[in-house]
Amino acid sequence: MHSLARRLEALLFISARPLPAAELAVACACPDDEVVEALASLRDEYDAERHGFVLNEVAGGFTFTVADDCASDVRRLTGAQRPDELTPALLETLAVVAYLQPVTRSDVAEVRGVSSEWALSSLEERGLVEQQGRADTPGSPILYGSGERFLKLFGLRSRSELPPLEEFSLQSSAVEEIRARLLANAERRRA
Amino acid sequence: MGRAGGATAMRGEAGAVAPPPVLLDLDLDVFDGPFDLLVTLILQDEIDIWEVRVSRIIAEYVLKLADSGDFDLDATSQFVVLVAALLEMKSRLLLEEEVEEDLEDLDPDEAAQRLLERLVRYSQFKNAAGALRDRWDEHAGRLYRNVAVPPALLRRPVPKGALPAQALVTALAPLLREPPVPDTSHLADLAVSLVKELRRLRMILGDEGRFIFADVAPQDRFQRAVTFFALLELHSSGEALLRQTRHFGDIVVTRAAHVARADAAAVPVPAG
Repeated sequence: MHSLARRLEALLFISARPLPAAELAVACACPDDEVVEALASLRDEYDAERHGFVLNEVAGGFTFTVADDCASDVRRLTGAQRPDELTPALLETLAVVAYLQPVTRSDVAEVRGVSSEWALSSLEERGLVEQQGRADTPGSPILYGSGERFLKLFGLRSRSELPPLEEFSLQSSAVEEIRARLLANAERRRA
Repeated sequence: MGRAGGATAMRGEAGAVAPPPVLLDLDLDVFDGPFDLLVTLILQDEIDIWEVRVSRIIAEYVLKLADSGDFDLDATSQFVVLVAALLEMKSRLLLEEEVEEDLEDLDPDEAAQRLLERLVRYSQFKNAAGALRDRWDEHAGRLYRNVAVPPALLRRPVPKGALPAQALVTALAPLLREPPVPDTSHLADLAVSLVKELRRLRMILGDEGRFIFADVAPQDRFQRAVTFFALLELHSSGEALLRQTRHFGDIVVTRAAHVARADAAAVPVPAG
């Protein structure tokens, strides 16, 4: 392996968190573009299922993760478990926070139509959502945002990797239909 | 709660005056919230959501629970929240007098428009949540190295002489001193007492027979509150009658006996 790639391999091995290319470059005293190139070759090396772990880019940096087919052995050794499943309500709340952050609890409730107090504290407990200061409005409500664990668990390099919200809009035909029915009801109410 | 098979049909009751039975195929496992339910109900054919009786939904759901035999606390409590929110939304939009008493009246068209906007917005996030679910399934099980770098590898030598004992003493000493007592002389004493205000208001009532609260109340908020308490005292003791004809309007205070003499038809209205 190219000698810079080996050095990066060592750094990535020892680190407990994803390392951005810039940080790797500082540690190796090398220019960024060389590091990027070496990372590419490292990625190839670990891509081909030759090793028990793979090189991932996640949460703003590079890191090794256990290969999917080796995960069960690791779990047996460490006792690690899959994180608790997320219910639809939690996923919905998480989606609101991830896309609209920073948001207050009442912002979330406004979008979902239900109180989200429980969902937010549950997500906070799991490290998916974190408190990020307070809003400048009366009452200084707490602002929530997504944290690094969110990026890790969802395999995202950064929040910008989330698909744009527009992609999830209702089809305009559906919107029109809802509108028509609601207005028809309004008519009937008036009559 | 995933989309399980099986639907719940709601049967109409036989009744002379009841509206025609509503046949509703509703998979109650699926809904994540009131907006979710509402969107689906609206988009289904032949359903007029305002005609659907929530009591029937509840009854069907309970029957379903009884049949299945197991009681899922999560699902049931989510259902209760859903129904409560749905009832609230229905009541807001069905009432002839608008519940939302803003400065503008909410007419049915506007209510429909607002609801539409909220439903559309909500749908975006519901769909986004679905996409997140897919990502979660794929990525959440990944195992990362979680341990910190072993301390043996992180040990850094402390430079000699960096922390002399004297520095510790210098740092600790101020913490052991008693802090000075704060000076509160700038805080004004309370200038208004309830007893004094009562006396004052009684004097005004005695002299003039009536007054307007705003005219006699001090500017300072706290003192104003005390004066208001005095007013309430006068009212509950039966000495004065309070009348306010519109929200935030003038509170007119009249002496009780005076009113009884002059205008027997007057109806005392407590201040709002």
